[in-house]
Amino acid sequence: MKLSRILRLPVLLASTLLAPVHHVAAEHTSNWAVLVGTSRFWFNYRHLANVLSMYRTVKRLGIPDSQIILMLPDDMACNPRNAFPGTVYSNSDRAVDLYGDNIEVDYRGYEVTVENFIRLLTDRVGDEMPRSKRLLTDDRSNIFVYMTGHGGNEFLKFQDAEEIGAFDLADAFEQMWEKRRYHEILFMIDTCQANTMYSKFYSPNIIATGSSELDQSSYSHHADNDVGVAVIDRYTYYNLEFLESEVRDLSSQKTVGDLFDSYTYEKIHSHAGVRYDLFPGGADVARKRLLTDFFGNIQNIEVDGAKNSTVDDEMLALSRTIALLRVLADQEELEAKNATASANTETRPKKKIQLAKSLTDDNWWSKKVVGATTLAGCAALWTLGSYLEGSRK
Amino acid sequence: MMNWADGKSCSPVLPIRIAIEAPGLNEKEVQNLVSITQRALDAMPDSPGHNWRLEAASQTSLEDTIAPRGHKNNALIVRLTSGDAATFKPASSPHAHLPVFEITYPPNSKPTLEDESSPLATYIAAQLRETFAEEQAMMSYFLAASTISSDQQPQVSHRGIDDSLSKRMTRSMKYSGTYHLTFSLFTDGSSPSSWDIDSAINQYMRPVLDMLKPIHNFTIDTQVQLYAIPGVQSQVLTKEDLSSFINAAEWPLSPSIGGAPTINFVVYVGDQTIGLDSEETSQSWLVPQWGSVYLLSPPAATHMPSEFLKQPILTFASHLLSLLGTPQSGSLPMRLSTLARVRSVDMLLRASSSLGSLARLSLALPSISIPSSVADGVAKSIHHLELACSNLGSTESLEHARIAETEAERAFFEKSMVGQLYFPDEHKVAVYLPLLGPVGVPLLMGLLTEIKAWKTRKQQKVKAA
Repeated sequence: MKLSRILRLPVLLASTLLAPVHHVAAEHTSNWAVLVGTSRFWFNYRHLANVLSMYRTVKRLGIPDSQIILMLPDDMACNPRNAFPGTVYSNSDRAVDLYGDNIEVDYRGYEVTVENFIRLLTDRVGDEMPRSKRLLTDDRSNIFVYMTGHGGNEFLKFQDAEEIGAFDLADAFEQMWEKRRYHEILFMIDTCQANTMYSKFYSPNIIATGSSELDQSSYSHHADNDVGVAVIDRYTYYNLEFLESEVRDLSSQKTVGDLFDSYTYEKIHSHAGVRYDLFPGGADVARKRLLTDFFGNIQNIEVDGAKNSTVDDEMLALSRTIALLRVLADQEELEAKNATASANTETRPKKKIQLAKSLTDDNWWSKKVVGATTLAGCAALWTLGSYLEGSRK
Repeated sequence: MMNWADGKSCSPVLPIRIAIEAPGLNEKEVQNLVSITQRALDAMPDSPGHNWRLEAASQTSLEDTIAPRGHKNNALIVRLTSGDAATFKPASSPHAHLPVFEITYPPNSKPTLEDESSPLATYIAAQLRETFAEEQAMMSYFLAASTISSDQQPQVSHRGIDDSLSKRMTRSMKYSGTYHLTFSLFTDGSSPSSWDIDSAINQYMRPVLDMLKPIHNFTIDTQVQLYAIPGVQSQVLTKEDLSSFINAAEWPLSPSIGGAPTINFVVYVGDQTIGLDSEETSQSWLVPQWGSVYLLSPPAATHMPSEFLKQPILTFASHLLSLLGTPQSGSLPMRLSTLARVRSVDMLLRASSSLGSLARLSLALPSISIPSSVADGVAKSIHHLELACSNLGSTESLEHARIAETEAERAFFEKSMVGQLYFPDEHKVAVYLPLLGPVGVPLLMGLLTEIKAWKTRKQQKVKAA
């Protein structure tokens, strides 16, 4: 007995020492995309085109609409100034209508607010919010967050009326991390002074990239003379160019590092920034992440072999018996309960008519007392006043 | 709250009650056997998350207590019968719907009262450990995934977490009280345009759903889509093709309207086949945390009778079981009770970690205003956690853990705890100065003149005196 106990010790020690701490954090099982445009009005056509082209890209790589949250603050397709009604183009060759079939906008128009965006990220929404408008991620979800609009030092303007601060965004991501609502995040932002927006992040597992440094503007790429306004921003344009030429399908082996290396000042006309330090393992690990980990939807499917045991007739019969037995047991219990309940009801007196009842129960009586005291005090004051007045006469 | 999150309040150890029935032995012999086996079990190294409690069953025959209710608190009944074979062996049980484990033992190994150890006891102990090995592995998986720090955990060996288990746990859905099942028929042409899905589900799926009722509820809807184009057009589908087979852009597989997560079951009628490297043929595949797809060759008629759907629906039933995280080994009742036990521990850990997140968050973001409903939710959650923890492993504990988890989630995701949380100081000054300036200046000036006047009055008084 003693010997066996001594022998057990090394086994125990080894099992505790060799135990990997985070054995489970391995891979992701779902991909989500949050695509946000934040500016309205016709001359900001390019920002909506930016978002819509990103939407087409993630959809092309297999993320279903139910896992894409698309926020469009304005409706460019139906703008009266649009020379091509019902369409949105991101290139002057007008080859692809971004607003064509099968587009699912989750938040549109005045629904695109800072509050709704933070609610979306932190999932603090009411019961009335449909599942399709919620970010139902878990600790195995990779999220691609893309934002575009007009911004400045540590803020991004929403709808020309309000702005989201870099601190708010960082706190929202922290709340997501705290609740284990993501596995990894790729944050991409195309706005003036974009790099300041991710400078305040402090939650792990985020790779961030932006179009321009502090005090730098982001520029549009080109204008369409018939549409009459610029149709796409430079940074987004070159991102899309890379994604379309190098990441043709889900089998692409291009990494995040490859994409970031393709940014040059000559192309973008501003200094694109990258932030790796939040990622465990730093730049080396972050750069090796595949682009399809964020832009695509990888499904590790399991094919059934012919041998695989399916539910057969025997098992069906068995489950029928179990269900039946349970129903019987429940009935028995219910009968027993009914028996005791009926014994109780006999002794119970007749039902009274219920009186009106206040809906809240917080200090109902004390509030009444306070009110009564106030009234009595006022009356006393009045009496006192009139008495004093009387005595003066 | 932090006590719960760190695992200090509740050590997630499942009491496994096992009753030993031995019609051939008298009461004292059974008692002795029970204590020897208990010792043998305790002596075995690392039984994490499990606390064995053996007891002698009352000498009633199985037929009296045939309803599962009678055995509510026992995870397993071990039934010993004296056999004529020379070795121990598990016998097939005539009561497949009850968690009964039958063992026949050779007559010469019948335990006596004096024995300190007996081969029968050792054999029972080994068998029990083997039976519960998968449950233990699942427990260790959840513990490793939880936020409970390792020194607070019961001695868990991570040996049990192998790749296949972690893969199985990864593909299973997050626990929910209710799941929504969507059965879809997609065809590449115009036929079949109708199917007997109602009767097929009732015939082949309903028993499984009924059986799972104490653990999950299910709602069901169905749809038929003609001329549906899959994501991959090639005639023979490779494994890579299968992962992009579902045409997410065009097929209407959107989430359900209600609050329950959706599990999709797709029957695709077309002439595509699955070609794998190996010889075996296959018609279906499972998509983790999503559902499964079954390829069916086109029938002759435009209507699909329920017999035709038997194989797909049975496949879906087995996929459903694995998507729900049901263990794979053991008899069906054992698997179900294991599922309930493991899920209650899972919920317990999840609720605890939510409470911890909320506690840390309220410290990290002091400007967030927390309404009293959150405090109520937390109190309720902790109350139910205590209840769940006190009788872990029973059916009530699953219910309590479920309530605790819902309340903790609701408290964390309280709708009013949002808005712009961070306001820089210069913003506050900029907002309040125009408001307070005009009001404040006259007040301040008035105060100054009052003080001045009071001073002069005082001086005059002194002079007058």
